Amino acid sequence: MFKKILIANRGEIAVRIIRACKEWGISTVAVHSDVDIDSMHVRLADESVCIGSHQPQNSYLNIAALMSAIDVTGAEAVHPGYGFLSENAQFAEIVSKHGIKFIGPSANLIKKMGDKIEARKIAKENGLPVIEGSAENINSINEAKKIASDIGYPVLIKAAGGGGGKGMKVVNKPEEFEELFPMAKIEAKKYFNNDKVYIEKYFKNPRHIEVQILSGKNKTVHLNERDCSVQRKHQKLIEETPSPVIDSKTRSDLLNKTVLMAENIGYEGAGTVEFIYENGKFYFLEMNTRVQVEHPVTEVTTGIDIIKEQIWIANNGNTGLNQDDIKPRGHAIECRINAEDPSKNFQPSPGIISVCHQPSGFRTRVDGAIFQGCKITPYYDSLICKLICHGRNRAEAIQRMLRALDEFVIEGITTTISLHKKILSHEKFISSDFDVNWLVKESFY
Amino acid sequence: MKINKKIIEELTGYLKEFNLSEIEYAEGTTKVKVSRSISSSSITPSEVKKKESIESNGTNITSPIVGTAYLATEPGGKKFVEVGQKIKKGQTIMIVEAMKTMNHVPSTQDGTVSKILVKDGEPVEFGQPLISVK
Repeated sequence: MFKKILIANRGEIAVRIIRACKEWGISTVAVHSDVDIDSMHVRLADESVCIGSHQPQNSYLNIAALMSAIDVTGAEAVHPGYGFLSENAQFAEIVSKHGIKFIGPSANLIKKMGDKIEARKIAKENGLPVIEGSAENINSINEAKKIASDIGYPVLIKAAGGGGGKGMKVVNKPEEFEELFPMAKIEAKKYFNNDKVYIEKYFKNPRHIEVQILSGKNKTVHLNERDCSVQRKHQKLIEETPSPVIDSKTRSDLLNKTVLMAENIGYEGAGTVEFIYENGKFYFLEMNTRVQVEHPVTEVTTGIDIIKEQIWIANNGNTGLNQDDIKPRGHAIECRINAEDPSKNFQPSPGIISVCHQPSGFRTRVDGAIFQGCKITPYYDSLICKLICHGRNRAEAIQRMLRALDEFVIEGITTTISLHKKILSHEKFISSDFDVNWLVKESFY
Repeated sequence: MKINKKIIEELTGYLKEFNLSEIEYAEGTTKVKVSRSISSSSITPSEVKKKESIESNGTNITSPIVGTAYLATEPGGKKFVEVGQKIKKGQTIMIVEAMKTMNHVPSTQDGTVSKILVKDGEPVEFGQPLISVK
């Protein structure tokens, strides 16, 4: 096994990875920006290195500084977490070239899956249903109009290098292309440094369903699906497993096809294949070549520590898991606790946490990096911790989540806890009668 | 029972002297515990504001949120405002990024920019003056 791993991340995921390393007996190196010196991940790691100033490009995205930190600490492997450099093929390549193990798939696969046009092609070639749309980069408005009339309006213009909902444009009628097409191209260039765009059919009321896989050189196993349809501004807020809306036939079709694709492309490590689900059918959306924020719901239902498995596969090449041994039990829900004010259009709420009491109890898990007196700075993502509850069934998981949310006390900043209480007790959530656009339409405050 | 005020007074004195938040004292069966909350000594935005306003003349436009200030939409790009430029109320003077959200800061009045008080990429606090307008 590795002797030392450097965690190229911060916040709750860095803490999560450090915990997994400790259980494997691996020593840990935390990296941090100047403002993060008192953070939980720095306190928990065996060693820490300051790699730059508060702006991400100077620290957590600074490849040269990270490589120096690896060099001075003698780490053998790097875990990128999610966000920051986790899906940066150049970083994976540089790390590997220096004889350091990047905990994730090869740079080549990250690159292919990072290009959404390429990923769509790979998914289609390997038997996954894809959303109707253009197979290639669209260059002109006329070309766009032709494709849109073939598949029918409304359509979505998306950036090939995109993700996270940025740079997407919904086009309802042909005239709108005149304004929206150039705008999409400019935004794609600005956000992703790649002005390639493509067109897909736009789904009005879809659910977001994804499949967790773990692949070694020997085989790929799946850890069932997650349903992440409670979203705001294209970002997930509540995730659960299993999905309350798909039947067992659809589920096994979805899982089998995903495993087959991962095996065909020679995937390695933990990955998630995301799908759109509407009217009983699922369509490939994209593949995330890293661990995801919502991985704990899968962990508590399957009993498998995904991060420890990632490290095992990175060290060993193979996975020791057998599909027949993976038997998910019950239902799990995760609520993302963000430092933002849900009553004011999710306005960021940085500050100092003056009082902090985290819930606990039967099948109640908190993954976080917060503590009383800690400073939530405005420089990074607003996610401060995640509350995960497991029940024998969905009803019990909801009850447990409401009980745990009631116990949660965070003072000094505003969080999404109050919104979660409202959602979890809303009849539409209880009856699973919602889609990704629900939250915007409903007024909770 | 009778409370001995002197003990409390003495203990309170020690709290301040040694900068403690809590002290407990027992004598026989009597136990006395005094505690206080220690306020942090960090600079509050209002202090920053005071310091800056003395140096500049004209009206200051302040940051509505804590975050990172940007003078242009991209590094090396055209700045939102320059010194000497005439601006209108509601015009964007800067962007303050907080938790990956870009917040456009509008001018609160018409006037001429007399001073830009922060550097590009500098961290700013709530209420910190960003520019001066005459």
